[in-house]
Amino acid sequence: MNLNLMTSETAYGIAFIVAAIGTYGIATSRNLVRTLLSIEVLFNGIFLAIVTFLSQIAVLDTLAGIVIVSVVSGEVIVIVAVIVSFYRAAKTLDSSSMEEEGV
Amino acid sequence: MNIGNYTPYIIGFAGLFMIIAAIAVTRLKDLVYSSIALSFVGILNAAIIGLLGFPVIAAFVITVYVGAAVMFIILSVSMIGTTETETREEFRGSFVATLFGLGLAASAVAVDLVKTYQKPGPHSLSTVSSILLSRYLVVLGVLFVALAATLVEAISIARRGERQ
Repeated sequence: MNLNLMTSETAYGIAFIVAAIGTYGIATSRNLVRTLLSIEVLFNGIFLAIVTFLSQIAVLDTLAGIVIVSVVSGEVIVIVAVIVSFYRAAKTLDSSSMEEEGV
Repeated sequence: MNIGNYTPYIIGFAGLFMIIAAIAVTRLKDLVYSSIALSFVGILNAAIIGLLGFPVIAAFVITVYVGAAVMFIILSVSMIGTTETETREEFRGSFVATLFGLGLAASAVAVDLVKTYQKPGPHSLSTVSSILLSRYLVVLGVLFVALAATLVEAISIARRGERQ
């Protein structure tokens, strides 16, 4: 079997399993921090799949990867700030309390 | 001994540990330990990306994503320090995750038709930095301004709750 093909198929498999685990975490938990962590797991899976795919069709520029990681890191900081702010106001991290308060 | 022949197996091992760390993120009761498991997911992801032939992106994932963003999550979660019990909806989670995984696998099969095996983009740090400082200088400036604005936004949101 072609080594490149085997490498990319292994990477695809890992990426999809990790993304599915992230989706499971998002759908399962009502805790805001756990949801954020699961979104990050999903991001890691999808990012690995994107890198694997784009490396095969010669579209991936290293700069594109750098920009994606920078934007996601900035987004994480804002979401954590929102969660901390919500926790200060509601004294809970349960997302169902957002529905009750009409947020 | 050519280590390149073992690349799929090394990726497989790293992937196995990455999957275990991802499960730990969703299953561990303590959110601080979950955040630490997320940092392992990021490190192993960077290792796989490096083995796929993108060492610069891998280094960037380690320094910016794991080193800054995930560390920020760990510090924030440990400062919040909640011990409340979580309510979980296991059936809904399993159903959605299975559907999502099947959808991704189906899209991968569809995308498999587009394979044309060519060489990827520039890899060396000097090439990337010279391109960044010449062709993409304006883009880099906009990115820096956007990230600075994001940081100010985050501080503003966090302090709003404090004032109220």
